[in-house]
Amino acid sequence: MNNPAAPSGMAPGTPPVLQLRGIGKFFPGVIANKDVDLDVWPGEIHALLGENGAGKSTLMNVVTGIYQPEEGETILDGYGQTFTSPQDAIRAGIGMVHQHFKLVQAFTVAENIHLGWDEAPRLASPAVMEARTREISERFGFPVDPAARVCDLSAGEQQRVEILRVLARRARLLIMDEPTAVLTPEETGELFRALRAFRAQGNAVIIISHKLDEVMEISDRVSVLRGGRKVGTFRTVDCNPSMLAATMVGRDIVRRDMRARPEGAAPIAPQPIMQLRHVSVRDDRGVDTLRDVSLDLHGGEILGIAGVAGNGQRELTHVLTGLMARTSGEIVLDGSVVDRADPALFAHAGVGHIPEDRLRSALAPSLSITTNMALREYTVPPIGRHGLYDAGAAGMLAHDIADLAQVRIPDFGMPIRNLSGGNQQRLVARREIRIASRVLVAAYPARGLDIGAIATMLGYLTDLRDQGVAVVFISEDLEDLLNVSDRIGVMFHGRMMDVIDAENADIATIGMLMGGREPTDRQPGGPQ
Amino acid sequence: MATRAFQRLPTAPAGRILALRLVAIALSLCIIAGVLALSGHSPGMLAELILRSTLGSRFGLEDLMLFMCPLLLTGAAVTVCGTIGLWNIGAEGQFYAGAIAATGVALGLHGPVLIMLPLMTIAGILGGMAWITVPTLARAYAGVNEIITTLLLNFIASLLTYYLTTGPWRDRISGAQVSTQRLSVSIPEMWGIVHWGFPVAIVIVVGLALILSRTRWGYEIRIGGANPEAARYAGIPVRLRIISVMLLSGGLAGLAGMFEVAGTVHRLQGGMANNFGYLGIVVAVLARGSCLNVIPAALLMALILDSGIVMQTQQLSASVILAITGLILFMIAIGDELAHYRPVATKPAKGKAS
Repeated sequence: MNNPAAPSGMAPGTPPVLQLRGIGKFFPGVIANKDVDLDVWPGEIHALLGENGAGKSTLMNVVTGIYQPEEGETILDGYGQTFTSPQDAIRAGIGMVHQHFKLVQAFTVAENIHLGWDEAPRLASPAVMEARTREISERFGFPVDPAARVCDLSAGEQQRVEILRVLARRARLLIMDEPTAVLTPEETGELFRALRAFRAQGNAVIIISHKLDEVMEISDRVSVLRGGRKVGTFRTVDCNPSMLAATMVGRDIVRRDMRARPEGAAPIAPQPIMQLRHVSVRDDRGVDTLRDVSLDLHGGEILGIAGVAGNGQRELTHVLTGLMARTSGEIVLDGSVVDRADPALFAHAGVGHIPEDRLRSALAPSLSITTNMALREYTVPPIGRHGLYDAGAAGMLAHDIADLAQVRIPDFGMPIRNLSGGNQQRLVARREIRIASRVLVAAYPARGLDIGAIATMLGYLTDLRDQGVAVVFISEDLEDLLNVSDRIGVMFHGRMMDVIDAENADIATIGMLMGGREPTDRQPGGPQ
Repeated sequence: MATRAFQRLPTAPAGRILALRLVAIALSLCIIAGVLALSGHSPGMLAELILRSTLGSRFGLEDLMLFMCPLLLTGAAVTVCGTIGLWNIGAEGQFYAGAIAATGVALGLHGPVLIMLPLMTIAGILGGMAWITVPTLARAYAGVNEIITTLLLNFIASLLTYYLTTGPWRDRISGAQVSTQRLSVSIPEMWGIVHWGFPVAIVIVVGLALILSRTRWGYEIRIGGANPEAARYAGIPVRLRIISVMLLSGGLAGLAGMFEVAGTVHRLQGGMANNFGYLGIVVAVLARGSCLNVIPAALLMALILDSGIVMQTQQLSASVILAITGLILFMIAIGDELAHYRPVATKPAKGKAS
């Protein structure tokens, strides 16, 4: 079952377009890929399914020559190949469209298509390049405006330019990384039609996705990766979404119940501290990043948020902490509606925020540790009085935070970027926990920490819960989520698919919800 | 033998930077001496002359201080702006605007010095602020690059000065070219020809250093400059802070213009900014973002300027002096970069040696 035969209707002896044999790729301390075998035949759309960190993108980066594998071989049309750069790969007919487009924003579509293309005429006027682009666009059935600047295009149009860039270079194998993440449903439909037309000409497509419905709709075969290894390859017609979901997340999860409250812990408050009512957010490009989310945060409770990264978790975090204005809906904090997105207001109301990317958004890397530790309390005594900033008091605060975080710091005056990522994370967590008297929003707080540090971090969260704080814990690690959360909300494409009781949560159900499927058998008492 | 490798540190310790800068200056002086010797000058004699006419005599010291006064203020203007991560390239224009505004007050109003001087000071500051207002608002509300806008306004301010000094405000008494008449009010002198603007400039620079490190506003500016995203995360109104910092920066450069008009030149003259605005950028770069460092940086710059004038009296052309200035600054930049590197001895060699 692991290697079903090639799609029927092919001349006998036809080799696969791409064969991977025993691919292994290692990064310091991480096995990104190990023993991966994969066959991709001409005329098939092959889906690569897996959670974050399952090794999908790494594997494709190996195929396209961005990374060199430590083990294994790549065989194209029956011949072994080594790519040392993406240029080698595209010359051999393998092109990749990345999730984050690699286009020059200030250039026109025609200029982007011709950029770095060895078949581009040496001296070409804009008119010539645009005519060539128009011809390519018609030939492959991806309509674009050759004279438009890329920065003026929608995400869907930019993606078409990326695909044309690859197709113009005569790609026979098109690799697409999460192609529908930025598309509207109509654009997704157009893309799928075009991909089917591409397949009909005997070409192959590898599509990386975590969306079960799309995998079911577009692919001929599915390979599932988990923890850097391939779990199996299946004919899509033999699959169903729940079986794929179980295969995707189905590892041994150690259920370690951290929900038990110690003596004297605060009970779950009946009245919510913060409420989101039908909150939606639309970004600058007109994409709905948060769709009609309603949530109640209760003191003394940990609400876990599951979902594949990029499904609205960032926007949810920002709305909950006042960093992002909602487009519609209501935010209620302590019984009153908050109209303004003002992070200072939320912080003073006791909302702490451990952001996803601490170095970029929670710290000033070039400033001292002391300065960074004062970020949340510089306006209140003893640091802030009468518009002054007391550096001595800030130093004391930094010492306190470092002691609690158990980070040894030789010199509080040195730039905080000299500390390791793990230590920065601990300091930020402790700084935010100090001000989180009502709510703590923790986005991926365990990311980049070792096992011991993760346990400490989860302990911080349960301590806060026991003090009566409402904790929102966003993570991609189902094990951690199931261990500490009281309820788990699952996000998909900006929507809160469901909020279920963590104690009885079923991993397959969560997996289905993460992949955008409503489970047929609903959990009793799950939805709020 | 230990093989030496070099590791680049993200931050260089201040002591290393200082040491390497001294080495850089010494090296460039050697190169200059060599070139001068080859072209038939006597470096020893020149050096002695320069030392005697700058640091080594009272007249030289007075001259140095007069040079330092505007450099302190324009250097502080660029440094303050740099704290929030913006470049005020327009100190030259704001300098002119401040000088024009102060001259306007002096020419238009008559009264006792005790009233006129504060009025001229306020006018100078407001003039500088007015000149940076458009770039400020464009930056804060439309994200327009302040480097371009502030730079382009320099030319307008300079030409406006030429227009005023050859047109409506030209000197009708003594007939001096491209100049207004001598102003009736001037900043009193403190020591020889050094006016009170010099100590005031020092106090302002020290005060700015305190404001940046010891006030809530200064803290917010520093966070905003080091990481605007973190500033937003902390709820700092970044836009308002940008406006206040840029206006302050313009005001400082305008004040420099007022000091120059009322303390040193006593007239508004075409070209009187003498590149002090641009040299303020050099001072700020030398000061590496610290207000207190502006003082030694301005001293070094004033020394270079002053030495240039001495050398010009010795039949060295002005372009040679520019080249020398460039060489010194270039070597200092290399020294700063080298200060980031630290030799790392490989381990086995270390084990045997000890």
